[in-house]
Amino acid sequence: MTARSLLRQDWMGLLAVVVVAIVAITLVKPAFLSSFNIQVLLATIALNALVAYSQAIIIAIGQMNLSIGAIGGLAAISFAGAMEVWGVPVPLAIVLGLAVGLGAGLFNGYLVATSGISAFIITLATLYLFTGITMGITKAQPFYGVPESVKAFGNAVLVGPVPLIAVPTILITAGMIWLMTRVRIGRHILAVGGNPHAAELGGVDVSFAVLWAHALSGLLAAMAGMVAVARLQIGQPTIGSDWLITSFAAPVIGGALLAGGHISVTGTLLGAVIIAIITQALVLFGIDPFAVQIVLGLLILAAVGIDRTRSWRAERTRTRIA
Amino acid sequence: MRVEVATEQPEIDVPVGSWRRFLLTNEFGLIVLIVLFFLFFATFANGFTSRFSLMAIGRTMAVDILVGFSMMVVIVTGGLNLSVGAIAVCAVMFAGWVIEALGMPLPLAILAALGLGAALGWINGVLIVKSGIHSFIITLATMSIFFGVMVFLTRAEAFRDLPAVVSDFGKLQIGGYVSYLLIVTVLVALALSYLYRYTALGRRMLAAGASPAAAELSGIDVGRTFIICHVLSGVLATVAGLLLASRTGAAIPSMAGHLGRDWLLPAFLAPVLGGTLLAGGRVSVAGTFLGGTLATMLAAGLLLMRVGEFWVQAILGLLLLLAVFADKARRVYLAKRKMV
Repeated sequence: MTARSLLRQDWMGLLAVVVVAIVAITLVKPAFLSSFNIQVLLATIALNALVAYSQAIIIAIGQMNLSIGAIGGLAAISFAGAMEVWGVPVPLAIVLGLAVGLGAGLFNGYLVATSGISAFIITLATLYLFTGITMGITKAQPFYGVPESVKAFGNAVLVGPVPLIAVPTILITAGMIWLMTRVRIGRHILAVGGNPHAAELGGVDVSFAVLWAHALSGLLAAMAGMVAVARLQIGQPTIGSDWLITSFAAPVIGGALLAGGHISVTGTLLGAVIIAIITQALVLFGIDPFAVQIVLGLLILAAVGIDRTRSWRAERTRTRIA
Repeated sequence: MRVEVATEQPEIDVPVGSWRRFLLTNEFGLIVLIVLFFLFFATFANGFTSRFSLMAIGRTMAVDILVGFSMMVVIVTGGLNLSVGAIAVCAVMFAGWVIEALGMPLPLAILAALGLGAALGWINGVLIVKSGIHSFIITLATMSIFFGVMVFLTRAEAFRDLPAVVSDFGKLQIGGYVSYLLIVTVLVALALSYLYRYTALGRRMLAAGASPAAAELSGIDVGRTFIICHVLSGVLATVAGLLLASRTGAAIPSMAGHLGRDWLLPAFLAPVLGGTLLAGGRVSVAGTFLGGTLATMLAAGLLLMRVGEFWVQAILGLLLLLAVFADKARRVYLAKRKMV
């Protein structure tokens, strides 16, 4: 199957980049592979991968979701706020956070599916709507009263340098692979992303697929928001405000087609790994952390550039206009 | 002032009174809303019609409308430019640097800023046209790069020792009520209307945006035209940034938020409220002007009524949603009545 071999190829190339980068950085700075550093690295990857999956599922259907960070922030403060203000037990607060994310995602999905207006403009509007609600509720003040159990979860290690907060991400990664390859809604999402018209003719309920893609995206963003609360140890209302670039960079580096119809979960994960390694390396080498912005931007350009060259030949056989 | 060239739908000629047509335009709807909200705030928001408040609204309006124009000129191509805020900050910081470090006179510094804004817009345009990748992802990347380079070079420090004339200009007023900054915006609006209505270049932009394939066939260099649109976007964003610097009296790295992101809502709100087609090929300069006016007035009025700053943001987000839905409903209605 050509699709599978191609997928494998993308994946292996990225893995090679990761290995080479780790070896190169370690040769110069052996501290890179210290237990503490690996723990920080894995915790960053755990969060960024969830953010990236949240966007990847929308990229798969050929759209974009600008409101991921806003949903993550809203879920985060609902989660932390419910525990501090109402004394809600942790499991219930998690359910509440997930419900907020699901609700926000369904809201996006419903508007996009029923209106036919581009997801870009809908989610741009809800980005400000959700952020406004988050900031309005909290008056931009964090919730400090996060229960000890949540804080412990954010600090604990599973085995060796593997932090406990990597566990949800590992489970979600497996779940995402299962969803995109084995579950009907996952395949429908990819079919709609590949060609909505053909999918419709093939009996796929396009509106339903769009609705659920956004709902899942909202759920994943909410999980990322709550993981961020555990990591930061407070319910910070600005959680999610800097997710936008990462959320696109990781899937794009991972070989997702922006036109939709193809994403690689493993590739997206490796994209998140590459971003985390670069960020960490810049810190280790004492380079201005703001350089991360430049590197992320260049990485996106490089990734889409490579993607473009790869599909150049296929593209040229078709009539090319403009 | 709507200019329409070769939209996808065939034009159906049904004689309709031009008055009735006007009453159904976006522009008329916006004027009604602006008048209604003005009366509402004048009645219920304390101090809304005071000299100070009107002056403040005018100064904000001047910047927000220009930000809207900087997005409008690329929406024409069917694309967008997420990096408008980042470009503006880069250009303004550059102006601040040439004044403080090189001792350049102000007019030259303004030219330098406009030149950098144009260059950054050109980079966007060339990357988009040559790669064929959607402008969303290209400008998402360049917004991160431009802003990152700017912060890296300036160490995130503001330039505050600008000539006094900069902030003086921001304080100038006509008759005590209207900010001078607004004059710049009105002049830009007139120039843009002229561009789209009377020049070959403007018509080429609209034609290329409406249908790149058809435009290419009729001999228009679509790629070049799109690049010019992005250069124009960079220049307009810079003008907006310069006005903002004149309002605050300094060149500040965070003046448009992290990555220049705070400009995205006003940038899309004004053109979308104004009825600019996101698919490209149609603009309404007057609509964008009115859209920016409505959004600014709404925000200012709500703030005066002590609706918290953050809730205003949520309400403006809702307004954007309402605007796109209203536009859709209007177009469905017009199509049914065969008035399009």
